[in-house]
Amino acid sequence: MIQAEHLTKRYGAFTAIDDVSFHVKRGEVFALLGPNGSGKTTTMKTIVGLCVPTSGRVRIGDLDVRTHPKEARTQVSYLPQRVVFPESLTAREIIRFYGAMRKLPRELADRSLAEAKFNGASDKLVGEFSGGMVQRLGLAIVAMPDAPVLLLDEPTASLDPQGVKRFRDFVLEQKAGGKTIIFSTHLLAEAEQLADRVGIFVGGKIVAQESIETLRVSSLANGTIEDLYLHYVERNQP
Amino acid sequence: MDSSTIYYVARHELTVNIRNKWTVIFALVFGALVVGISYVGIIAEGFSGMQSFTRTSASLLNLVLYLIPLVALTMGTLSFTGERGTAELLFSQPVSRTEIMLGKLAGLFLAMALSMLSGFLAAGVVIVSSAGTEGILRYSYLVILSLLLALVFLSLSIVVSMANSRKAKAFGTALFLWFFFVLFYDILALGVTLLLDGPRANTFLFLSIFGNPVDLVRVATLIALDNVTIFGAAGAALIRFLGGTAASVLMLLSILGCWIALPVLTARWLLQRQDI
Repeated sequence: MIQAEHLTKRYGAFTAIDDVSFHVKRGEVFALLGPNGSGKTTTMKTIVGLCVPTSGRVRIGDLDVRTHPKEARTQVSYLPQRVVFPESLTAREIIRFYGAMRKLPRELADRSLAEAKFNGASDKLVGEFSGGMVQRLGLAIVAMPDAPVLLLDEPTASLDPQGVKRFRDFVLEQKAGGKTIIFSTHLLAEAEQLADRVGIFVGGKIVAQESIETLRVSSLANGTIEDLYLHYVERNQP
Repeated sequence: MDSSTIYYVARHELTVNIRNKWTVIFALVFGALVVGISYVGIIAEGFSGMQSFTRTSASLLNLVLYLIPLVALTMGTLSFTGERGTAELLFSQPVSRTEIMLGKLAGLFLAMALSMLSGFLAAGVVIVSSAGTEGILRYSYLVILSLLLALVFLSLSIVVSMANSRKAKAFGTALFLWFFFVLFYDILALGVTLLLDGPRANTFLFLSIFGNPVDLVRVATLIALDNVTIFGAAGAALIRFLGGTAASVLMLLSILGCWIALPVLTARWLLQRQDI
């Protein structure tokens, strides 16, 4: 479903991602795991076409993101690391706007909002929302178009335990619905609980791609999954 | 290009900007200044009451030339260098970058136009009620040219935002542009003429008008107000060279059109190659 081939992104002398390749199958949940600054966000942004790679290419289904950006993005719903909405708009105005961007009927936007359970806050200004409510609105926008691919960039980075649980439930629900999901995280437990496979990023390179099962089996011989992860990170840290 | 996407982005941008307190403050300040200048202008000449539309238009010209570029550059830079999370979510939608850029430009322009029109309208109502409708057509020329000036500087603000990834740097560049076009350009042009002989200096001065949208609006407004005699022989030569008053205004408007189109095309080129 998603094929990243030899992706490299350089900013002057700095290489953000270096020859990254991976393939995510339809219906698979793939976690990008790695420390801060290891290239997870740049990879995510390259997949959705927000970053132009220095070399390499991304295909979503049969579509090359570089040559068919609009068509490729109809297949993808992306949640940035830090979602910010204009504080002077209501949740309903915002979700309807993003619905209009995808030419979805207004009723669908309203239904998505109702499913997000804002309990009467749908017509309140987003400026009055808590961080958790903003996240719920972000997830509602991502889920609304029923896109076959979800890209979620460190979605739990600044969430309280309730928000983390809500996100996990969301991913499990989408996974059950057959969605292909890529999410980035630096939390091992999250990857272990939600992902089918992980790609470990260190210093802009993908140093390992393993299924969660393989990691579990390997960890039996080498300690915990955390030990295994730290082994990859320390061995490849520049 | 999908016009419905441009429409939705424009409507979204318009709503956000209309609810922005700074847009409301601009509308109130601009309206108060327009009405105030019209009133103060005639007091200065020993009369009391409101000036006619013609005199008000001439008095307002300087306010428009100073304030509109500054506000347009500020609003445009603020919008196009906005929160990263907002931009990432918006640009990840299945729409083209050009559609988003044009929609945002249209929304910003509409917000600014509504603020300006409310000021011009308030002054217009006051003038009609106290000095009649004489010169209302000339006043409307000023309104149209002011709107074009806003659009020029909003377009320039997009280039500024695209060329500077950091917000503070973008604002610095925007302020420099305002300083350059509004304050420094004419001094620079006059300075250059000191280095040239008579005919060449005249030609240079004439051509220098086209290099500054603020000067273009100034000259076009004065021609439209039949006040080109303020330029003396140079004004007469300008009208003669451009082929009469109507042809002069049309030509100046066409060049203003280029001042809108070129920045938009440059910004589009930059945006296509940029990481969000």
